[in-house]
Amino acid sequence: MSRKVEQVLIVGRDAAAWLTALALQRAFGRTGVTVRVVELPSLLGPADVYAAVPSLTALHGLLGLNDHEVLAATSGVPVLGQRFSNWSGAGKPFVHGYDTQRVAIEDLDFLQFWVKARAEGLKVELEDFSLAAAAARQGRSPVEADGTQVETPVAPGWHFDGRSYVDLLRRAALSAGVEGRAAGVQAVSREGDRIVSVTLDDGLTVAADLFIDASGAEAVLIGDSPGAEFESWRDAFRADRILVASAPALTPLPGHSEIAAFPAGWLGLFPLRDRTAITAVYDSSVMSDRDVAQAIPVLCGRPVIGEVTVEPFAPGLRPGWVGNCVAIGGAAVALEPLDAILLHLIHTGLSHLIALFPVDADQMPEAPVFNAGFASHVRNIRDFQLTHYALNRRFDEPFWDRARDVPVPERLAERFRLFEARGTVAIYDDESFQEQNWTSIFVGHGLIPRSYTPLVDRVPVEEQMAKFRGLLARVAEEVRAMPEVESQFGGAAR
Amino acid sequence: MTGPARVRDIVIVGGGTAGWMTAAALAKVIGTQTYSITLVESDEIGTVGVGEATIPPILLFNKLLGIDENEFIRETNATFKLGIQFVDWGRPGHTYMHPFGLFGADMNGVGFSHYWLRAVAAGGDPDNHRFVAEAEALRLGRFMRTPQKTPDKPQINYAFQFDASLYAAYLRRFSEKRGVKRTEGKISTVARHPESGLIESVTLADGSTVRGDFFVDCSGFRGLLIEGALQAGYEDWTNWLPANRAVAVPCDRVEDPGPYTRSTAVEAGWQWRIPLQHRTGNGYVFSDAFISEDEATAALMRRLDAPAQAEPRVLRFVAGRRRKGWVANCVAIGLSSGFLEPLESTSIHLIQAAISKLLALFPTTRNEPELAERFNRDLDLQYESVRDFIIAHYKVSTRDDTPFWRHCRDMAMPDTLQAKLESFRARGEVMVENHELFRETNWFAILYGQGLVPEGYHPLADVLSDDELKLRLAGIRAGIERRVAEMPSHEAFLRQCLEGVTRR
Amino acid sequence: MTGPLDVVIVGGGTAGWMSAAGLVGVLKPDQCRVRLVESDEIGTVGVGEATLPQMREFNDLIGIVESDMMRKTNATFKIGIEFRDWGFKGSNYVHPFGAHGKAMGGVAFHHQWVRAGQQSRVADIGEYSYAIEACRKNRFDFPVDDPEAINSTYNYAYHFDASLYARYLRGWCEARGLTRIEGKVNDVALDPQSGDVASITLESGERITADLFIDCSGFRGLIIGQALNVPFEDWTRWLPCDRALAVPTERSEDFAPYTRSTALEAGWQWRIPLQHRTGNGYVYSSAFISDDEAMTRLLGNLDGKPLAEPRPIRFKSGRRTASWTKNCIAIGLASGFLEPLESTSIYLTQVAILNLLKLFPRSRIDPALAERFNRVVDNEYDRVRDFLILHYHATSRTDSELWRHCREMDIPDTLRDRMALFEHRGHIAQYRDGLFSPPSWLSVFVGQGMRPTGYHPMADNLPLETVTAGLEAIRRRVSERVEAMPMHDAFVRDYCAAADMVPA
Repeated sequence: MSRKVEQVLIVGRDAAAWLTALALQRAFGRTGVTVRVVELPSLLGPADVYAAVPSLTALHGLLGLNDHEVLAATSGVPVLGQRFSNWSGAGKPFVHGYDTQRVAIEDLDFLQFWVKARAEGLKVELEDFSLAAAAARQGRSPVEADGTQVETPVAPGWHFDGRSYVDLLRRAALSAGVEGRAAGVQAVSREGDRIVSVTLDDGLTVAADLFIDASGAEAVLIGDSPGAEFESWRDAFRADRILVASAPALTPLPGHSEIAAFPAGWLGLFPLRDRTAITAVYDSSVMSDRDVAQAIPVLCGRPVIGEVTVEPFAPGLRPGWVGNCVAIGGAAVALEPLDAILLHLIHTGLSHLIALFPVDADQMPEAPVFNAGFASHVRNIRDFQLTHYALNRRFDEPFWDRARDVPVPERLAERFRLFEARGTVAIYDDESFQEQNWTSIFVGHGLIPRSYTPLVDRVPVEEQMAKFRGLLARVAEEVRAMPEVESQFGGAAR
Repeated sequence: MTGPARVRDIVIVGGGTAGWMTAAALAKVIGTQTYSITLVESDEIGTVGVGEATIPPILLFNKLLGIDENEFIRETNATFKLGIQFVDWGRPGHTYMHPFGLFGADMNGVGFSHYWLRAVAAGGDPDNHRFVAEAEALRLGRFMRTPQKTPDKPQINYAFQFDASLYAAYLRRFSEKRGVKRTEGKISTVARHPESGLIESVTLADGSTVRGDFFVDCSGFRGLLIEGALQAGYEDWTNWLPANRAVAVPCDRVEDPGPYTRSTAVEAGWQWRIPLQHRTGNGYVFSDAFISEDEATAALMRRLDAPAQAEPRVLRFVAGRRRKGWVANCVAIGLSSGFLEPLESTSIHLIQAAISKLLALFPTTRNEPELAERFNRDLDLQYESVRDFIIAHYKVSTRDDTPFWRHCRDMAMPDTLQAKLESFRARGEVMVENHELFRETNWFAILYGQGLVPEGYHPLADVLSDDELKLRLAGIRAGIERRVAEMPSHEAFLRQCLEGVTRR
Repeated sequence: MTGPLDVVIVGGGTAGWMSAAGLVGVLKPDQCRVRLVESDEIGTVGVGEATLPQMREFNDLIGIVESDMMRKTNATFKIGIEFRDWGFKGSNYVHPFGAHGKAMGGVAFHHQWVRAGQQSRVADIGEYSYAIEACRKNRFDFPVDDPEAINSTYNYAYHFDASLYARYLRGWCEARGLTRIEGKVNDVALDPQSGDVASITLESGERITADLFIDCSGFRGLIIGQALNVPFEDWTRWLPCDRALAVPTERSEDFAPYTRSTALEAGWQWRIPLQHRTGNGYVYSSAFISDDEAMTRLLGNLDGKPLAEPRPIRFKSGRRTASWTKNCIAIGLASGFLEPLESTSIYLTQVAILNLLKLFPRSRIDPALAERFNRVVDNEYDRVRDFLILHYHATSRTDSELWRHCREMDIPDTLRDRMALFEHRGHIAQYRDGLFSPPSWLSVFVGQGMRPTGYHPMADNLPLETVTAGLEAIRRRVSERVEAMPMHDAFVRDYCAAADMVPA
């Protein structure tokens, strides 16, 4: 008979550590599993932000976190998408909206009809048929000030102040029964690929059945695990710096994040209630830290307030589960915070971990399955991010020329080819982003299908046009039914 | 007469700024070794010269003469000028500048103003002056010459404000040193050849005769030769430029004079304020159809910044142009060739333009009708383009608070101007011909400054990505701020210039 | 678009006529013109054929009326497959078209079932499946829509006479204008430049050109294999069966709503109940049994009187490496073969047709379309392959050489990992595309005799008593509700009795 996993030790910091603690406590706390956290010093400054895609709402649900309380505690705001500007030089910005439904006419993807109509002269952008994009552009979201949501087929993403969010998670975890201790790691005792115990800098040695490394890029546990070599993705992602800063709050609050390309990388503006969080991800060989810091108020059109911090960044992935140690978040995977993906990467790791939570403390054949599944998920996310880079249309700028020229992974190249040929998105197992997401960014970046499926012609042209009009009218109507973000979270609500 | 006689003896009728500028330029360029240059003037006749403001091409004139700028500044009590500040023109309470500098920098062959309009349309800073180094320095009262022109430090464009009488005196000394003969006296008659109609000589009040091969009429409004003798005719532009009087008065100097001329729109015209080293020139340009001379004088005196230094002097004029500036063997230069109010400080420039043109087309013989025709055509274009530019100030205004301004609002304008305003309104563009003094950047400054906001801009300005535009704009602005921060105050720089130059 | 695409389907049979029906039924005449070449001389493999529930989508898409089709193909309903003697001799389980139980405490049903089973006695997992219990009782009814109702938790397919189905579709297509060309293909000509198929030539000498050729010529792969030389990936090392003998028997009294598969010494025997007769066959490996022995074994193992001589069929498991190559698309057996253990043949044909429709070229063949088609088809084959191998490999049978071989053979990594995780902790990963879903894997894992040693730790969040009570409640609901279903034969008689159905 197998020996049950009873002691879980999380060594880490910030959202990765506390989301993991709370998730494991909620999932297994009542089954006799003890969850302890060794909290390393936070890497978050006052300017940090967590931006999340809509899937986080489901995680919060499982964790017992209430939207209203989270928003209130974190100066948070809901957003219905991300607006990408300057990625095609002077081309029009587009909004990647968080629609939950793919629009279809007679079971055929609406895109197919749009491609046909466009070939025949239709001038309406695909984005105009996206409810989430339309609402985001108009500064609306389904979320009311009290956290309740208007019934509509979109799902909000979120912006939270980094430190407040972590404080909230820590409180929730501790009150759920997680044991926490602030300390550093002095030594890790190993036996083969397994970790026996961790000795802290306060002298305490802690043994456990399962260790979680949530320490971020430091990878304090998994970094030295045999076979956990980091696979660098520097060739694909040239940015080597992440800068965070703050600007005054936007009035009115927009319904989306702003992701703006600039000569050395991209700049994200994440509106919060009391400030606008800024993240710049860039290649320091193209623009120095100082130049970027100086460019930020210019690019944002707003002054920078408070502290500006710059951290090095090295993209890549390592096997997240080795022996009895599982890495969650930055210790397993380093991707740019593009597409509001960082919390989602934690979430993805946790979903895999909970689904495969080891049943036997002494042997964990789940590891390869976890690693394969997680890596496959991450690669798809990576490809989604690479899409932005690969399809950029900024010419004669070294950073962007290179981003276009560097070969993309074959699977992504195939996605491009298929989409261009037929407007079909190849969707694989382990996808975070669905067809509507891929479609939105493909078309947004200017990848327009050359042809459409002949099945479209089964629907009479007059009927197609009537459906188009109906869709636009429905979008307009549904958007009107959503409150303005400003009215719920800005101005007087602040 | 056997064969056409070559031009050797040149007679300039009238001193003043135009006369002495002509004399100095001729003395420098053609010299007095093979040519004789005589200037006839009378001390009895006062010159119009009060505080006079110039525009940057004056530097070329100075360079032509080879004069030392610091000495010139000392001798003429000059101050530096970076542009004109227009007060209450677009609407009461509103101020803008027409600086001498370029507005930003062209990108991809499209004028900066279009990019700037795009940025403003997207919520950018609507203060265009931030993108002109001269305007920024002007605003802060700073000035410095550009020591060495480099791509990232383009020339600072400037001109001078000086005492016109001292300037004339300075040029007189310059000319006389180079052999120009000055003859004291008032012209009584002009003798013309009965057949050819060429001017042979002028007779002075004392009966003496000054003979010449070629005459330059610098006699002022009267146009003693060009009109009095040759009846060239005068084209009256009062329908477009109603002002026909000016009252001028100097007052005490102000501390720390700004490096600019101020023009303030008032009830029936506008007032100038030109700071010099030792005093400030003031004047009120008006139309006597809307205000009497006395009322205008009283208004001017009332609005002086400092005690007047003299009695106000009234000048009368008619806006317009001599139909022909060069007739037979006589060229009119200065007020004799036409009059445009000094709203854009163009008087000295028009003198200078005529002098350059005369030198370029300098006659071999006494009768050169082709050269004359060419001269006239070129000068006409110059006058007309300056005229349109000045009219634009009156037309593009929302002022309707007095009969004068209502008149301006309702009056017709030349077709050439109409076309410019329409294209500016549509997409911020003013098509400027090669010969025109005021370029697109000048038109932009005044039209936008007066309150005409274009509805669009050049479509190619959209080709630059938003971030690139912001970064370039910020780069330009930061460069300007850096440059201006290096500048001393205008006053300090003036002192620096005057040190080591001894006054004659 | 430049007129309709010219499509020639080579080969009739189920694949050929389904392809034809798909193209004719879905595309418009201005999009494609379809012709089908077949020879009455070439027999088709069609015997009693069992299908999967996806079949209904195909019929719905082209607009086939179910009861009509069933009547004309002697069809019966199918809600699962019974596997006899597979895990061990005497074992019996059903792979249902439906779920087992329902999730409890946030984990899939089987985790709780495993957990409860470790502590106390639980019923066979089949007793928690509505579809399985219906099979056991020979009952059938249409599933209801209400997801809360236990009788919504399944799906159904058909057993039918494949030859009749092909004939049915032929009539359907010809009524819609499809041209059928009688003849045998003698030669395939390739374009020397592009390598595309240029034309086929019939024995009659008739040469047929087309834009697109659909190879439904069966195992031979007349175009895809013989002309284009697209390699065939051989999977015999995992799926050793390479022969089949098929024989119909008289209709039995046992009118089961499921297919039966009985493991024999060197393969397995199918039994497919139709309205008028029962289809039978022995799928075996020639490496482990001779054809004669197989024949004897089959005939000795029939539960009804044979209606014909057993017909031998030869095949090889595997698939083409690129079913869509150039302008040729292989569909059906020409694209690959997997033994009918899980009734996947028609499903795989259908997947190919639906994807061809989605990716149907407009004017030119974009290589990306073929790439996609092949990717989807490959994935489907790979998924089914692993699932089939599981039946052979996860057995405790050691009574014959075939089974000993299968127990010990290397299996694909994908399958090995899947089995390991199931045994370790009952984990069944769900994939996005392709057969089969976790309930299918569960039924075969458990049916073949695998029992997880662990279960998902979250299962422990629910008190054991709650779980045991929950299990019992489901079992009772299933068994009570199944009793209310009509008998399958009565249902068929009422709904779609064939003209020649033998009255019960």
